[in-house]
Amino acid sequence: MESLLYSILGVLVSLILAFTVGMTYMGLSRKITARIQNRIGPPFYQNFIDAMKLYSKSTGIHHGVMHHLGPAFIMVTSVMSLMIIPILNDSAFFTNMNFHGDLIFLLYIMTFGPLGMALGAGQTGNPNSAIGVTRGLSQMVGFEIPWVMAIIALMIRYDTSSIVDIMNIQADAGRWIMFSSPFTFIAALLAMLGMFRYSPFDIVGAPTELASGPMSENGGKYLFTMMSSSSIFAFAKLTLYVNLFMGGADNLLVLIIKTFALYMVPLLYGTVSPRYRTEQAVRYFWGWPSFFGLLAILYAVFF
Amino acid sequence: MNSIVIIFLIFLAGAVLTYIGQRLSNILGSSLFLLTIFAATAQFYLRVNTGDIFSFSLNGLEMEWGITPISWLFSLIVLGLGSMAAVYSISAMKAKERLGYFYFNFIMGIFSMMGILLSRDLVSFFIFWEIMTWSSYMIVIYEGRSVQKVGIKYFLFSAIGAYAMLMAIVIIYSQVHSVLIEDLVYSFSSFTLAYKIWLPILLLTGFGVKAGMMPLHVWAPGAYSHSPMAYSSLFSGALSKMGVYGMVLVFSMLITQIPEHLLIREVIAWLGALTAAIGTLWAIAQDDAKKLLAYSSVAQLGYIITGVAVGTELAMLAAIFLAVLHALFKGTLFMVVGAIEKQTGTTNLTEVTGLIRKMPWTFIAALMSIIALAGIPPLGGFVGKWMLYEALIASDHYILVVLIFFASTAGFLYCYKFLFGFFLGQEEKEWAHVKEAPATMVVPMLIFSVLLFVLGTFPGLLLKPIDIGMQELGYAASEGHYWTMSVLFNEYGNAIMLQPILYAIIAIFLFFLVFLTAKAFKGTRYVSTKDISSSGEVPGEFENLSFKENFFQPFLRAVEPVMKRQIDWYYTLVGNGMEALFNFVRRVYTGNGQTYAIYAIVFLVILLLLKSNLFG
Repeated sequence: MESLLYSILGVLVSLILAFTVGMTYMGLSRKITARIQNRIGPPFYQNFIDAMKLYSKSTGIHHGVMHHLGPAFIMVTSVMSLMIIPILNDSAFFTNMNFHGDLIFLLYIMTFGPLGMALGAGQTGNPNSAIGVTRGLSQMVGFEIPWVMAIIALMIRYDTSSIVDIMNIQADAGRWIMFSSPFTFIAALLAMLGMFRYSPFDIVGAPTELASGPMSENGGKYLFTMMSSSSIFAFAKLTLYVNLFMGGADNLLVLIIKTFALYMVPLLYGTVSPRYRTEQAVRYFWGWPSFFGLLAILYAVFF
Repeated sequence: MNSIVIIFLIFLAGAVLTYIGQRLSNILGSSLFLLTIFAATAQFYLRVNTGDIFSFSLNGLEMEWGITPISWLFSLIVLGLGSMAAVYSISAMKAKERLGYFYFNFIMGIFSMMGILLSRDLVSFFIFWEIMTWSSYMIVIYEGRSVQKVGIKYFLFSAIGAYAMLMAIVIIYSQVHSVLIEDLVYSFSSFTLAYKIWLPILLLTGFGVKAGMMPLHVWAPGAYSHSPMAYSSLFSGALSKMGVYGMVLVFSMLITQIPEHLLIREVIAWLGALTAAIGTLWAIAQDDAKKLLAYSSVAQLGYIITGVAVGTELAMLAAIFLAVLHALFKGTLFMVVGAIEKQTGTTNLTEVTGLIRKMPWTFIAALMSIIALAGIPPLGGFVGKWMLYEALIASDHYILVVLIFFASTAGFLYCYKFLFGFFLGQEEKEWAHVKEAPATMVVPMLIFSVLLFVLGTFPGLLLKPIDIGMQELGYAASEGHYWTMSVLFNEYGNAIMLQPILYAIIAIFLFFLVFLTAKAFKGTRYVSTKDISSSGEVPGEFENLSFKENFFQPFLRAVEPVMKRQIDWYYTLVGNGMEALFNFVRRVYTGNGQTYAIYAIVFLVILLLLKSNLFG
């Protein structure tokens, strides 16, 4: 019983951590984008204000049960991914459910939410939502290929599919996988561009084109849930990349430095890129990123 | 009398009686129909034990019927899906014509599949195989002239498969002088290398046709989508699994005995993966739900074929697990389409919209099976997919696993298209009158949905019989090192514990649901799908806001080069070429006596020239 309470507490703490860090990153991203575009931009805590405002609003209408459940679906994905991904090296407190799933499970649980949310967006009947969803799914087929190749290369090279094992291997070797398997890292990093949906891959939300796409019929608490879910998810994904390729983190400060550095990649790439069309985005991932993925697999098999 | 014979008699007598009963009255026919199938099912599970054998001699040929653990496992698919589809078809086929014909062939279909599973010799196997082809062909052409072409295509390919199989059986008899399967397995190692290669290829051609393996799958989309949906669920769910059953036998009994470097495994595994990838792409392009599901069946069978062909313990386990799962979810999905067809009169995804509030139970069944199909945890499909990936990676099929993964991810696209097209989106006035389907149609679907859920959490329930069946086929016991009740292991010893994961998912889901509904879901008001944000304008009542046409156009543009031509095109090319050849040959007969005289002289000259070669 005590262990159960302890683990629930662990989940809550990681949840709050992920929420705070994710929200701050989102806020910082707005600030950074603004500075690049020579604007002043909102303060970095603007997202917290937005979130509080959205949460305190009472919702008057809904479009049916699936619409109502959509945000809950997407939240499940974010929290589940966060629970499967170890947050720190050898931390007793942030164990969560690390030992209950592996990389391929993670890959699949990550798709649970988008599909659930897609159903919610579908029921609203807003054509923009549905268009956004079809674009998002198409893009997912695109970036999953290099991403899967990277994961398979890791599994071949290190004979394990557990994230914790991969972290331990790096700790033992004293060398990050980023350097020992460079092609794997490149393929995964390029796939990450699609995962984070910044320009040029912001075809799902597509401001000024689709009116924020799948989110467009959601307001108040629904939007708050989606917003916090995407922050948590962003943090989870960044932590996963740090764990897999940058040797994990020994304490929270290191984790934050590493994730922030990683976060800059899609963000800065995005600020200077115009938006792709859907088929361009899909094909992009089947070009160089998949080529590097293939190299990664070959490298893992032969070296 | 032997219990196996009794089952066959029940089926045969039931089929005839149902046909006659249907002539007399509707109710009598339907109840005889149900009675036959349930009586046979009960007889099978209550009275027949694994190991029961009935042997007899026909014209000097030793024949044998019996049941092995692996055929018992496949009988779950046939009888489970068969009985549910039977219940479903009572309502689904109501007020249709020629019901006696339909019921007769339905029963004969199940009868022949059970026959295939129970045959321990090749001759009765072949006979039952042909009955299966015939009865399903009869149902494919149920709608008459309009589907003649589809029927002919199906029959043509089945005939190719059947001839290949017949040739194999004749070769086997000439070598072994017995048609018993065990004799074949016993003496296969003493065959010459040429036979060792050709026999499996011939048999796999026969099975590959039924399993819809590329390039023999072209009959499948037409045949699946043109049969009545009540039968399609059985057609795609169970009948195609007979091909898988045959493949399992061939791969585990014969191909293990031939040298690895011949690459038969690799070739079939690649064909399976290509079937999966290309089938998926074509499924995305379909606008008719029946066609979509038909292509999706082809694609899903591709995974199964790959798993069987790779043939390691884990791969085989995954493939058979997926085969059972596919029967469950694809059976349900075809039933869903049937229910929608009955209630709305069309299955076109671009026409029907917004049924979620009108047919909620059907929606739940569809949602569950779609989640299982897409392989998303915590439902059963994920278990099978996960095991397949791990098996492929562990057996060094790296590019294959990427291809399968691509097919699986691209599968989300048609999954969403199916759900969105029918149930979500704008609610149109045109469909305002639609009601939920009758209970006898909904209940079978819901039963399968619950099963999918249970198997996702406790796959051990199903993996146990598969394990027993595989041990019969010569595999080592997989329990303990690949799975226990609700935990899966991979080659590296990493595990997935499904039960805690399910609980976690449900807990988080409920937590956020409560969190969302803290201010009471009741307090919010439902607004119609016309009441949406559209840049401040209020859409009028008859303004069309549906997003239906060209649903995945951008994606299809991205994969255009792959989809330029269907395989049909190549077959047509071959067909046209043949026709041209025959036309040319026909010209030989000019009707002119002088020309014939020249032929005779030329022939003689050739004979004289080659005299020493031919007769020397």
